[in-house]
Amino acid sequence: MDKNLNVWLDNLLQEIEGIKFRRKSTRRVRIDVAMDALPTLLELLQGRASYVHLSAITCVDWPDDGEFELVYHVWSYETQSLVSAHTRIPRDPGVYLSIYDLYEPAAFFERDIHEMFGVFFEGSPDMEKFILTEWDGPPPMRKEFDSEAFVNQQFEWQPYHPDWLKELEEEGGGVTTRPEDIRW
Amino acid sequence: MKDIKKIEIIQRPPPPEPARRTNPLARVFDELVRFCQSRSMFMLHYCTGCGAIELPPAMTSRFDMERLGIQPMVTPRQADILLVTGYVSVKTLKRIILTYEQMPSPKYVIGICSCTVNGGMYWQSYATAKVLKDYIPVDVYIAGCMPRPEAVISGLRALMEDIRTGRGDAWKKYYQNYDFYLGNQQRLFGEKWQTPTDVIAEAHHYGMMTDQTLGEHTDLLEQNEVPLDALRTRLKARTE
Amino acid sequence: MRPENYQAVNHPPSNEYELNFGPNHPGIEGNYAFKVKLNGDRVLEARADGGYLHRGFEKLMEGRLWIQNIALVPRICVPDPVPMEVCYALAIEELCGLEVPERAQWIRVMQLEMSRVAAHLFAFGGHAATTGMYTPMFWGIADRDLILDRFEELTGGRVYHIYNIPGGVRRDLPEGYLGRLSGLLDYLESRLPDYDNLFFTNQVFVRRARDVGTMTQAQALKWGVTGPNLRATGLALDVRRDDPYLVYGRLEFDVPTEAGGDALARNLVRRSELQQSIHILRQVIDRLPEIDGPIRCPIPNPLAWNVPAGEAYTRVESSKGELAYYVVSTGGGKPYRVHVRGPSSMHAVQVLERLAVGSRLEDIAQIMFSLDACPPEVDR
Repeated sequence: MDKNLNVWLDNLLQEIEGIKFRRKSTRRVRIDVAMDALPTLLELLQGRASYVHLSAITCVDWPDDGEFELVYHVWSYETQSLVSAHTRIPRDPGVYLSIYDLYEPAAFFERDIHEMFGVFFEGSPDMEKFILTEWDGPPPMRKEFDSEAFVNQQFEWQPYHPDWLKELEEEGGGVTTRPEDIRW
Repeated sequence: MKDIKKIEIIQRPPPPEPARRTNPLARVFDELVRFCQSRSMFMLHYCTGCGAIELPPAMTSRFDMERLGIQPMVTPRQADILLVTGYVSVKTLKRIILTYEQMPSPKYVIGICSCTVNGGMYWQSYATAKVLKDYIPVDVYIAGCMPRPEAVISGLRALMEDIRTGRGDAWKKYYQNYDFYLGNQQRLFGEKWQTPTDVIAEAHHYGMMTDQTLGEHTDLLEQNEVPLDALRTRLKARTE
Repeated sequence: MRPENYQAVNHPPSNEYELNFGPNHPGIEGNYAFKVKLNGDRVLEARADGGYLHRGFEKLMEGRLWIQNIALVPRICVPDPVPMEVCYALAIEELCGLEVPERAQWIRVMQLEMSRVAAHLFAFGGHAATTGMYTPMFWGIADRDLILDRFEELTGGRVYHIYNIPGGVRRDLPEGYLGRLSGLLDYLESRLPDYDNLFFTNQVFVRRARDVGTMTQAQALKWGVTGPNLRATGLALDVRRDDPYLVYGRLEFDVPTEAGGDALARNLVRRSELQQSIHILRQVIDRLPEIDGPIRCPIPNPLAWNVPAGEAYTRVESSKGELAYYVVSTGGGKPYRVHVRGPSSMHAVQVLERLAVGSRLEDIAQIMFSLDACPPEVDR
């Protein structure tokens, strides 16, 4: 039963023009699709091929290509296989369509991607900040945001060479650190 | 090992001498009060980070914190100890400061896990504050990731000992050096940072005003003060 | 705020009021908050407010070596850390094409099930505490500690184990370990009737939890509910069975379901899963001594390990539901992108917001604990 459904799906997807289809294993399928065809593909997968469970939406930042890659992982409880639909959207302006009307779990993932990457999803019910409500910097998951530099500029470090240790050292005591071991 | 020359053992400062009082029994009463204080502490039930997972074992039958007289308490208004269990994200730190200011004095702060000391393994993270003692005074640190219940209990016993001998007075620092702590808070949360508690008035009340209490940061606090407004929590999801 | 500046706040006249529920609240699991709108004690609207535990894991992992991240991942879900390690290790193994030795696979299954038992004991203890029954909480947490002792013996850590590395596990079992584990299972099994009497069939709990936070099968599927919460609506769906990983395909176990879909049903499913996990662990104890061989396959120098380019999506059934990692590598020494799909990111946000509406204020804590929502998984 499962086998037949998989074969049927493979045949169907290979018929559709404009998508790149690759079966990685019996339970994992990768599809590359243009950004305007993705909602239709997901509608087809959900309505006709029982892919009812949206497992996750992932955003991957490719600054060199000037693109965001959005990956929609949908799982079918019936055929027990996972389709990962990859699509790429331009980094600027970073706006895409919401699939909330197809999959309700999308609301959380889209909200998350919006605050972490700054991609706006049109038609998503809720684009307000959830995690980073106290944050007014750039979207932190973008590749150009350097977390370490931000930390060095924003926060104080615990001093590992406080005054009382310096006093001890002047008297000839204390702990010496080799220059190559000094991190800060 | 050869690099280690000599390590001086740092002596803790002796407990402060109580002020001279006329009643010959005053000292005895003070001792008694401190003893009782150290044996009956309420710990605020606030899980700020992942170290809180070791608190239920420490509280329940196996390690049984209650035999030391320590019990969880649900409201900061009646709590003595604030346990900061683990990393403090900036969002949580605001709530920790609000909670700390709501607690009645004397109050004690214990920083559990390495993250409260120096940021721990999240030293790179843009979202967590690194050094807790810059924002509120800390009595005891319990290092480890995460510390075992035995370590938590031993840290609490160290605090009890401090209270009994009169050394547990980190809460006084908050009033005495309010400008320093407020400055660090403003640096992180912006200049408009306000808390509903009037710390300066409390410092007056406890007689702990020093020349470090007021400064440029408290000036900024009074400058930016705005009257309370109706709670503006927008519940309805905004659709754009 | 100086007292002279306090002013009376003018609220519009209404029976409805808004309340901040958490983060500093004993009825909240972890550090999490709700804003609720109430009429009396009926919830009209609820809105989750997370991010108190946000550490930016996904960003941190991009800045560290593949092997360093093993120490980072268990922190994402504190009560149930083993599935995090295993799922991340599985992703790297898929990228590198590593074949994990069979013995390591069995040891991983053993740990996963031990972790599930520990997490379920913790969850039902927490739920009992929110309904005012402190004895089950004491029992659950004390018995969970016995499992943590076995974890400590095996891995050296009580809570965070950092034991599953890509390619296998770090150490072999200590001498006589399986015997001690078997003794622990006997003890836990003998405790189950006590739990039933005290908690699961106790009318105080049953009447309190019945019809609280009910969802139908269709709703659960639509909202992306997974794990025990989905099985409590009568659907026998389990990643261990549907998308087998490690040696779960060769193990015998039932997928328990309940029909109710309410807080009671979710707890009963967890109770049955305790039994199933003990059953799986017994199979592991029987089979593991026969399986000899290495406990990990050779891996390159972990400090200079360039994982081949590609992407992998691995799924694991954690005690809370479907846990998945999406890992992208560009062939470098560090991950290019790691996305963690925690099951609670559905349960604690959208599902909880919807189930809370129409319930009473005192039931929000119960709904949250019955969903076994784990806030650090949401915030990451």
